[in-house]
Formats: sequence, C-alpha cells, structure tokens
Amino acid sequence: MFLFQNALKSITRNKLRNILIGIIVLVIAVSACTALSIRQAAQTAKEDTLSQMTITAQISFDRTQAMEQMAQPDMENGKPDQAPDADTSFDRRNFDFDILQGSSLTLEDYIQYAQAQSDGDSYYYSGAFSLDATGDLLPYGTEEDDEESDESSETSQDFSMQPPGGMENGFPGGGERFQVNTGDFAITGYSSYDAMLSMFGEDGSYMITDGEMFDETSEELTCIISNELALYNNLSVGDTLTLCNPQCEDETYTLTISGIYTNSASSSEEQNRFSMNDPANNIYMNYTALSDIADASSEADNTTTDSSGEEQSAALNITLAFTYTFTNIEHYEQFEEQVYELGLSEDYTVSSSDLTAFENSLTPLETLSTTALWFFLIVLIVGGIILVTLNIFNLRERKYEVGVLTAIGMKKSRVAVQFVIELFLVTFVSMMIGTAIGAAVSVPVTNTLLSGQIEKNEQSNASVSENFGFDPGQSAGERMARPDGSPAVSYVNSVSSATNLTVILQLVGVGILLTIVSSLAALISIMRYEPLKILSSRS
Amino acid sequence: MSLLKLEHICYQYGRNARPVLNDLNYQFDSGNIYAIVGKSGAGKTTLLSILSSLASPTGGHIYLNDQDVSQIDKYRFRSRYVGVVFQNFNLLSHLTALENVVLSMNISGKHFDTPKKELALELLQKVSLSPDEANRRVLKLSGGQQQRVAIARALSYDPDIILADEPTGNLDEETQDEIIRIFRLLADEGKCVILVTHSPIVAQAADYVYELPRH
Ligand SMILES: Nc1ncnc2c1ncn2[C@@H]1O[C@H](COP(=O)(O)OP(=O)(O)O)[C@@H](O)[C@H]1O
Ligand SMILES: [Mg+2]
Repeated sequence: MFLFQNALKSITRNKLRNILIGIIVLVIAVSACTALSIRQAAQTAKEDTLSQMTITAQISFDRTQAMEQMAQPDMENGKPDQAPDADTSFDRRNFDFDILQGSSLTLEDYIQYAQAQSDGDSYYYSGAFSLDATGDLLPYGTEEDDEESDESSETSQDFSMQPPGGMENGFPGGGERFQVNTGDFAITGYSSYDAMLSMFGEDGSYMITDGEMFDETSEELTCIISNELALYNNLSVGDTLTLCNPQCEDETYTLTISGIYTNSASSSEEQNRFSMNDPANNIYMNYTALSDIADASSEADNTTTDSSGEEQSAALNITLAFTYTFTNIEHYEQFEEQVYELGLSEDYTVSSSDLTAFENSLTPLETLSTTALWFFLIVLIVGGIILVTLNIFNLRERKYEVGVLTAIGMKKSRVAVQFVIELFLVTFVSMMIGTAIGAAVSVPVTNTLLSGQIEKNEQSNASVSENFGFDPGQSAGERMARPDGSPAVSYVNSVSSATNLTVILQLVGVGILLTIVSSLAALISIMRYEPLKILSSRS
Repeated sequence: MSLLKLEHICYQYGRNARPVLNDLNYQFDSGNIYAIVGKSGAGKTTLLSILSSLASPTGGHIYLNDQDVSQIDKYRFRSRYVGVVFQNFNLLSHLTALENVVLSMNISGKHFDTPKKELALELLQKVSLSPDEANRRVLKLSGGQQQRVAIARALSYDPDIILADEPTGNLDEETQDEIIRIFRLLADEGKCVILVTHSPIVAQAADYVYELPRH
C-alpha cells in the first residue's frame, strides 16, 4: 500500500507541520480524556452506590399541590356578582385545612399499595399516639410541685411530633406535620425489628442497658422506657406503668417494662419544653400491642367536649408512619409509577429521603460533571476550529505537491486518501499519548477539582445556613434528626477510577471526528485543484 | 498509422481569450525525436499540456494509435502512456531522487517483474546518476541532476511517448549535449521523443521539427 508509505514519509519529512497538528490534538485529547473521565467517574459513583443501596420510601400528602389547587379560582362556585378583580385576591375563608391535611391513609391502604413492590422488597411501619401519666408517675422534665407546668402539658397543642418512623428516615412523608394532642408520653409501636432497627441499630445512640427488647409479635403490653424516665420514677425492669388517655383520665392502660434504654443523643436537648417532646419520654413497644390499646380505646367510646361545645370522640388515634423498602432503584421507580394504579390519589407523592440525601451527596460531583461536559465541548469546538484553520494553511503549502502528484497521473481521490491517512495517523498517535496522559492525571485532577467544588458547596450552604438557619444540603428529615447542626451531607469526595473502556471508546470517537473535520477542508480544496493551474502558476 | 496524431488542434485560455494554438496538424511516430520550436509565448508549453492530457484541446482531436485520447482516462493516460519532463521538473522536494522515481511507478499501477527500487536505480544510472546521488533529496541535487531525475521518472513506467519541455533550458553546453545523447538513446530504443524548445541546438539534433506559427 504505497499510499500509506507515502503518508508516513510525508509525515516524517514534514515534522514541523505535523508536530503542530500533533500538539493541538494532544491538548484536545488530554482535556477530552480528563473531562470524559470526570463524567464517567460521576456516572460510576452514582450507579455503583445506587445498585447497592437499599432505598426506603414513604407515601406522603403533597401539600404544595393541594395549595395550588386551592389557589385556582373555582369557576363553578364563583359568585357571579363579584368584582372581576376580586378573584385575584386570596380568600382566607376558602382555606380548607382538611384538604391540606389530606385524608390520612389507613394501614390497610398502605399494605394494599405494597402490591406495587417487587420481589425482595418489603415494608415496615410504626404507629404513635400519646398517653398521660397517672398517679405518682411523672414524665421526665416536669417538677412534682409545679402545677402550672403540669397544666401546660395537659393543654391541647399542635406541634410537630418526633418522627415515629425512626430518626434515619426523617419525618414520614418528608416533613408532614401531624396534629396530635399533647400527652406526657409518646408511645411508639413498631411492626417489626426492621422498623426498630432503623432507629436502634444504625446510629448506635440507642442501647438497651437493662432487661431486654419487647417481643416483636407479643400481644402483651410490654414496652421499653428511657433510662432517664426509669431513674426519675425509680422504675426497673418488670415494673408496670399505668397511663391514661390524655382526653379521658378514666381510660387507663398498664404496660410492663421489659427493658430500659439509653439514648446518648437526646438528653441534652434543652429546647424541648413540652414533656412529650423530650426523647426521654418516648416509650417503645410493638405495633400489635399499640393497636390493641387503640382498639380498646375506640371500644371504650369516651367523648370530650371541644371549645364550641360539640362532642367529639376521645378515642386514641394512631399516627402511622409507613416505610417501604426497596432492594434497588428500579424497584423504587416501578413502585412510584404503579402505586397510583392501585388507587393511590394523585394528591399523594412517593418520596425517598435517603435517595434525596444520596442525590445531595452527589451534587459537587455532578456540578463538576456538568462543568466537565461544557469544558469538553468548548475544547472540542475551539480545537476543531484551530485544526481546520491549520489544515487550510498546510494545504496551501502543499498545493504544489497536489499539482505534481496529479500531473504525473495520481487521481485526486487517492491524493485525498493519502492526506486523510496522514491526518489520521498524526491524530491517532497524539490521541493515544493524550489519552495516556489524561488517564494518568484524571483521578488526581478529578479529586482536586472535587474537593474544590465541595468547599464551594459547603461555603454557599454555610451562608444560606447563616441567613436562614438551616443547611440547604439537608433534607427536612435530616434537619430534624440533627439539631446539633453537624453536617448531614457527606459529599462523595473522591473517585478511584475514571478512565475506562467507555472513555477510551468515546475518545476514539473524538479522534475520528477530529480527523473528519480537519480532512474535510483538505478534501474540498484538493478536489478543486487543477494541476495545470497549480503548475503553471508556479513557473 | 501514426503513434500520435493531432487533427485541427486549437486552444484558448478562456472563452474570449486570443487563441494560443490554431489548427495544428502534426504526426508523431516511434523511434524519432521531434522538436517543436517557437518563440517565447508561442504556445509550446500549452501544446505540451494538451499532449499530456493536462489540458483538453478546445478544438480538434488527438489520436493515440487511432484511438481518440479524449476517450482515455486522463490520469491513466498521464501515468501510463506519456512520460513528461516538465520545464521546472516538478519533483517532490521532500523525497529522494529514487523515491520520486518509485512513487511514479507506484502511481502508474503497473506490474513490474523486478523490484521497483532496483529498476529505479538502474534508470537513474542510465541517466548518469550514482546510487549516492539517487538517495539524496532532490533539493540537494544540481539543476542538471534534477533534470536527469525528471527524465528517469518520465521513463519509470516505460511509456511509448516522452514529452520534455525546454529540457536544456538552464543547462551548460556540456550537460545539454549529455541530455540530448540520452534522448537519442531513447529514440533508438523505439520511443517517440517530443521536445518542446526554443533552442536551435536541440532543434538541430531532432529528426523532425515543427515550428509553431507566430501570432
Ligand atoms: N494559464 C494561462 N492562462 C491564460 N493564459 C495563459 C496561461 N498560460 C499561458 N498563457 C498564455 O498563452 C500563451 C502561450 O503560453 P506558453 O504555452 O506558456 O508559451 P511558451 O511555453 O511557448 O513560452 C502566452 O501568451 C501566455 O500568456
Ligand atoms: Mg514554456
């Protein structure tokens, strides 16, 4: 193949010209390899973690959507005599708290929706209500003689309740607030050890220090209480607690203490002024027992009279926290889609706080990945333009060569092929060297850029945090869970491998693209050359 | 039957330009040296371009063994049937003398029984270039030596017709004689040698002389 030999000779005998092209291609290759490697690293980091991650999700009422619907002027019910501009103003009387609250889903609903889960997936749930102390029993943090403080704890208040679903998962439904009647104690019942693990197992701040865990399935009313509460009331394992419905003192329940736990994270929290909100007053049991209490309460059929004089049921109401777990992201996404086919209203959304947290942890890497993409495109375009320009100049210099070759009978198309081979060889050698350099530097470069990006993110988070008092990098649940303000997001801060086969294939594509773009100019001008004109203009 | 026959050949650069060649009727046969003479600007190089298919006549026909040349692919015609020694040689400066000759063999696509390099060296020896000179880049050769390389290249694919434009143009008398001797040798071997020249010495050495009319 003499064209190839010709091309090689032409390259080696015109070093300056080819070194110039080579350097430009090299710069493009190193930049492209680094940029593509960063993108690949981001992709890999995401996929690897996602494939191993167990995802937990909650169904929650979409309050934003409900608000929007409410803000839409209702044409059918609109008063015809209203001034035209009146419907632009928001009428507070229309504000329907029931809509915003959402009709809460029942346990049966949640279990029904679990049919949208796939093999290997599961769910757990917990329920909660509050009960009051009876007799000598005192909730932790209240003083015996202080009648007023006792009074205040009796009053009915709306405030956000500790997430019964476990600290790790944050608030069920990503920040939905429950209206609960304040009681002295928060009683939480778990469906299974899985549900408890999410609180007890993972962060290690909870520990059974005396006795044992309550039985997972037993219908006996056994529970575990905090070390603080035990000390405060001189209670020990085997003792009983008699608690009553906050709405109705006569309705009492007796729980047996099976174990005492300590929570290293809770006791310092000064801001929990209401006794029920003090984690020391959290009492844990299994869900079966909890729901038995609720059933007994509704059978007792006690009533209270509210401020407007109407009679209301005083039955204990379980606030449910239902968590679906998925073995992988596909299962989660499938669930997200199919759950609506099982009858879930569009007013509800499926969300996963650990997925959100994971996505947050990827923010710097993904920002970097986007930057890398732009950098890559700009390098490619600018590099391409330089290459084309350089080739046009080179071709002017080689006009005479084209003239000679065609004058002695070489077809223009073969001249063109030879020139393309030359460009291809130079481009590929440079691409190979550039890829090798890029592969060597891409991991350290990615990690350096990444730590810079993380610093930037943390700085901007810190300034938002200063201004608004929370860290935008955290989900609502995490903000709740970590009131001490420790950084909740641990960003993905390093990649181990970056340049892989995919990147190399992409670079081969880049090489071919560059060759085509730069030879295009060559081909067009060669085809337009007339040997006679070239040769006669020379002489 | 003539090897090469021109019938009513006309040529003009551009539609409204003055015709450079007007109704030429020449015949060329094997084994002879032909000299086409004329003053500077008479159209000698133009005629040579037409004879080598670098340009197509604007009027008339050229026949090669009674076949209309316009029917033959011009690249094939140039790389097989005619060997051209250009006025300014048109050698590739980044190649050696030998490589220029071999390249021309490669372009012709002809099959050779002997290795091309060997054949090329023989050809270069025939035009009095040593193997050392043959392996030099052409820019490092003198004008006379470059002229010989150009001749060797024109001979490389063994064409029937050799065309040369002012082959003795800038050469000293001794070298001129040497070049003319080479052309005589080729004619004796049966080639048809067509020299385009304004030099009376070259014209004298030719078997036939065609004079381009003055405009
Ligand atoms: N490429 C061209 N375009 C236009 N006119 C040309 C071109 N080449 C040559 N001519 C004209 O054609 C005439 C013949 O030129 P040429 O064949 O080079 O003459 P010679 O070789 O006999 O000196 C001259 O008048 C010249 O000006
Ligand atoms: Mg001339």
